[in-house]
Amino acid sequence: MVRYEYYKPGTITEALDLMARFGGEAAYIAGGTDVMVLLRQKKLSPKALISLRNIKDLYLKDGLSIGACVTHREIEKDEYAKKRLSALHDAVCSLGSPQIRNVATLGGNICNAAPSADTACPLLVLDAEALISGPEGERKVAMDDFFIGPGKTALRKGEILKGFSLPVLGDTTGSAYIKHTRRNAMDLPIVGIAVRVTVNKSDLRCRDMLCGSAPASEILSRFADEELRCEDVRIAMGVVAPRPIRAKKAEGMLAGKVISADGVAAASEMAASESSPRDSVRGEAWYRREMVKVLVQRAFVKSIDRIVRPDADIYPDRLW
Amino acid sequence: MELTAVGKRVSKKDAPSKVTGSAVFIQDIALPGMLYGKILYSSYPHARIKSINTAKAEKLSGVKAVLTGATIPPFKFGVYKDNPPLKTGKVCSLRDEVAAVCATDPETAEEALSLIEVEYEELPAVFDPLEAMKEGAPLIHEGHLGGKEKKPTNVLNLPWRLLAGDIEAAKKEAAYVVEGTYSTQWVTHCCMATSGCIAQVDTANNLTMHSNTQIPYLAQRDFIDALGAFGYKGKRVRVIQGAIGGGFGSKLDTYAYEYIAILLALSARRPVKIVFTREEEFLATSPRQCTVTRISHGCTKEGKLLFRDIEMILDNGAYTSWGATTPSVMMLPISSLYKVPNVKYTAKCVYTNNTYSQAMRGYGNPQATFAIESSLEELAEAAGLDPYEFRLMNANEPGETTPQKFKITTCGMKECMAEVKSRLGWSGRRHEKKGRGFGMASLVHVGGGARVYKSDGCGTIIKVDDYAKVDVFTGSSDIGQGSETVIAQIVAEVLGIPTEDINVINNDTDVCPWDVGVHASRTTFVAGNSALGAALKIKQQLLETAGQALEEDPSGLEISQGVIFARHNKEKNISLGKVLRNAHYVAGGRMLMAEHFYDPPNENFDREFKGNLSVTYAYGAHGVEVEVDRQTGRVRIVNYVAAHDVGKAINPMLLEGQISGGGVMGLGYALSEKMVYKNGRLMNANYLDYKLLTAKDIPPMQAVIVETDEKDGPFGAKGIGEPGLVPTAPAIANAIYDAVGVRIKDLPITPEKVLAALKAKEKEGGSV
Amino acid sequence: MKQELSFFLNGEDVKVEVKPQWTLLHLLREVLGLKGTKEGCGYGECGACTVIVDGKAVNSCIFPVMEAEGRTVTTIEGLLSADGGLHPLQKAFVDHGAVQCGFCSPGMIMSACALLAENDNPTEDEIKDGIAGNLCRCTGYVQIVEAIKSAASGR
Repeated sequence: MVRYEYYKPGTITEALDLMARFGGEAAYIAGGTDVMVLLRQKKLSPKALISLRNIKDLYLKDGLSIGACVTHREIEKDEYAKKRLSALHDAVCSLGSPQIRNVATLGGNICNAAPSADTACPLLVLDAEALISGPEGERKVAMDDFFIGPGKTALRKGEILKGFSLPVLGDTTGSAYIKHTRRNAMDLPIVGIAVRVTVNKSDLRCRDMLCGSAPASEILSRFADEELRCEDVRIAMGVVAPRPIRAKKAEGMLAGKVISADGVAAASEMAASESSPRDSVRGEAWYRREMVKVLVQRAFVKSIDRIVRPDADIYPDRLW
Repeated sequence: MELTAVGKRVSKKDAPSKVTGSAVFIQDIALPGMLYGKILYSSYPHARIKSINTAKAEKLSGVKAVLTGATIPPFKFGVYKDNPPLKTGKVCSLRDEVAAVCATDPETAEEALSLIEVEYEELPAVFDPLEAMKEGAPLIHEGHLGGKEKKPTNVLNLPWRLLAGDIEAAKKEAAYVVEGTYSTQWVTHCCMATSGCIAQVDTANNLTMHSNTQIPYLAQRDFIDALGAFGYKGKRVRVIQGAIGGGFGSKLDTYAYEYIAILLALSARRPVKIVFTREEEFLATSPRQCTVTRISHGCTKEGKLLFRDIEMILDNGAYTSWGATTPSVMMLPISSLYKVPNVKYTAKCVYTNNTYSQAMRGYGNPQATFAIESSLEELAEAAGLDPYEFRLMNANEPGETTPQKFKITTCGMKECMAEVKSRLGWSGRRHEKKGRGFGMASLVHVGGGARVYKSDGCGTIIKVDDYAKVDVFTGSSDIGQGSETVIAQIVAEVLGIPTEDINVINNDTDVCPWDVGVHASRTTFVAGNSALGAALKIKQQLLETAGQALEEDPSGLEISQGVIFARHNKEKNISLGKVLRNAHYVAGGRMLMAEHFYDPPNENFDREFKGNLSVTYAYGAHGVEVEVDRQTGRVRIVNYVAAHDVGKAINPMLLEGQISGGGVMGLGYALSEKMVYKNGRLMNANYLDYKLLTAKDIPPMQAVIVETDEKDGPFGAKGIGEPGLVPTAPAIANAIYDAVGVRIKDLPITPEKVLAALKAKEKEGGSV
Repeated sequence: MKQELSFFLNGEDVKVEVKPQWTLLHLLREVLGLKGTKEGCGYGECGACTVIVDGKAVNSCIFPVMEAEGRTVTTIEGLLSADGGLHPLQKAFVDHGAVQCGFCSPGMIMSACALLAENDNPTEDEIKDGIAGNLCRCTGYVQIVEAIKSAASGR
């Protein structure tokens, strides 16, 4: 067993001071579901753990910001998150297990910076900004610039992630996160895709076509003549690169254009080409690339469905 | 007469202690002075051990003993006697045990391991049995000679071979023939409690093993032999089992860690506990035997099965455990699943530098049935016949003798198939689709014991006390399946005493009579019959003693609700407690105890592997409706029906538990579980990457009990422990074929394989 | 160096000296002698170690012991009523065949307990969600779900 001391500072300043005192040979811990595992695997051997759990400032939660210590479970139960930050809500519902979600924090999941981190892609498409506190003061970093590599973030030595600020997203914006797994709980994604779409109108004639078991492209073709325009779009992909990334070229193909099945299909192909998946124990590269193509389309449809049928929860026949 | 205990949904007797957390597992036991043992494993899959330096480890405060292969007496265990508990000279796999320590606490033991310095000289390794069979392949055990020329070889001297009928003639006669190669993967038991034991020797070097074993008496023999090899001949060994946190066949052999614990205890002269971590459980226990099967199947124009020709290559890994004997059970479905008059089967086991396999629920049957039932549907299609009708036409029937000389008594195969069809709402039209399909597969397994060893017996002793409470000492073990409760129900039925008043003792070799082990789904049948026999004997004693007291002929008496009464006049009665006190609490008294050793009337295989291995055979059929996501390859189970011919359900609730539990284990085998090895190294030794199914993965499942009333079974019962997962994989593979027209011949059926097959089909111009 | 920890355990105040690197599981099993909570994997991946902390189910094998300070912790031992009677969930598990080898049962019951405390009439899907973090190799979950359903409806 690694031997370490355990501190529970009550403020960010105290935490920063403790970290400085240990000259960086300490580690921050929030929910602990990642850190405790790393300790057991002997991948981490700090002289001290500095717990962030008792710092009130890290727990804020309102429409515009989420504190780093907010647990996944709290976000799961949040109605605003469900409606307006659907992609993030999808992610927290599918992450780990109830036991994990009860203690694991949003900040922890992001700072652990696994390429498979479920909450990363949603925060990327929701245009979140990371709020950081450090020895040199406060700063903000766009999520796009936050992930550097596997396990590496833009946090500098000693810095603490305070939380995330989010833009207000209206009725004509919908988002979704699809986590492609081998089993339905306690799994890491083979591929994770998040999409956020803003459209020109929230009313479709054939809205009920959005549920059903047809493939995404078929569903999209059903409202081809409704002139639904994609005003803005974000696509993020996980587990297909050393860090969670945006598919910016794919986004460029869709933004400002009328939504068509062919258009979305072409964009999903582009997204796949922007990815660089590898073979690993958890999945094969060719399959990951194929899933990007499929899941970008499905996440797109799901996002639109959320705009057009905001209160519908059930897809009884749908495979996906 | 209506049954009062048998056939009832009685709760498991040990359930209250388990739901309160008071049941004691090996993990929970601490003996006075106990030390903790840990094992150092090899760093290479194949290497010479040049030197081991344990000096630093020995000096660490708290360390009480350090052992290596060089410091222990020479000794080899295992089916083939090729496995030393601590390796000397060379290591042949990454799970080879190289050194062991015991210390006052687990952390110190762990630290001591890190202080042991081992110098290796790496050797070329081989991980593919086909490669290992070639000339010039690295030899795993240089001294192992085999074949006609007695040359050094990696092929074991276990030439499995079954022949029945005239295979060549049948091949010529067949109107339709299909061939294919099927492969199955390593999966592991994943018992929720990891392996462990506590070895304790007394001053005379007699041994007490606190153990999780499923074979207390065979393990006892193994440990006696081991003590003899260690220089302690003629010692007593006592095996005590606590609550066992899962078996599934994982404890049907003895393991290196058990001998290591004994050696450490002998060295340190204190009890030594070894408990595996979860990673150790994955990499150092023995998984299900993986297989590569070439099968050829043929039938007449009308669809009558003519022949089955199967060839298997088994990766035996670095040492030999029960995996190498799975062909003896694979022969069961090969020769006797459906009526097939001409059979040829050969199997080779080949040493490699991989992990080695042992028994796992089904013991080869799931592997063989996957190939047989998948291939059977290919044959049905070639013959232009409906797969259900094809099966019906060739179904086994009561009274037949199969090519392997199994005598089929009761046989609920057709009933099980009918249940599957009707409950799935399967109207038999193929490829209707849009990605949805139906599939099924049947199974045959031993249901009335299995004479794998010279004895298939189980002993029971019954003692009744002055308060009409009964103690039943049985040699069989309860590994969670509820055998203790089933035995209590059987005794309760015979003695007319409530099940709650029956106490079953089954966990101490000093106290309980002999049993060969909890394997082959034999416990309800064999231990049940044994308990039944003893109960009938003691009933006779009770009736005789009561008869004297009541001045009635014992044949005119009955027992019910703890009272013995005369059938013709219920007023003439006496309580059981009084009967017992009358018997012994008097001058010149006697004890009332009965014993019965039941060894079923089944046969060992003869030299051709033929013989009536079991008294009766369990049949079943599984059917499944799947929906395949053609864009991702993911398979969703829409509906699942598992119908089993169980003879008689002694406890329907526990039986359903076996069917559901087996079914879900089978689903994992079919769809998601796989031990991923790369150059001999296990890459997914944890619950995150080894995909056991969770509660959110279970499909709607119906467990259907078909009762055929087997006259030789206790109250008509047959075995059920293993059948639950035998036909799952082929049923699903068949359903996927029905849904999207691709057949996956390699388990597990992952989304990648399905998608790749769909894309290949598309390329060839087939519609999807 | 040991530190003092105070918390509420199964309805009682507990003050104990702990090493900061211990997990809550280690404290419960090895120091306080409460062996009902089991270690199945040590990585928070199987749920056998589930206990309830401040009303929420957590994996005690990855719960830093120091975070238990001031909290209310309930283990399987805490479910028995004062006269030793089984909790309705425990009784339901016994009655519905939801226990086979029993190693997963304490953790499974604690997860179910936390679920029912928050949602006293869960659907079958909600039950499966609630125990998604508890692996069982013996039962196939079917009878476990039935047991929880019956405990919820008071049958």
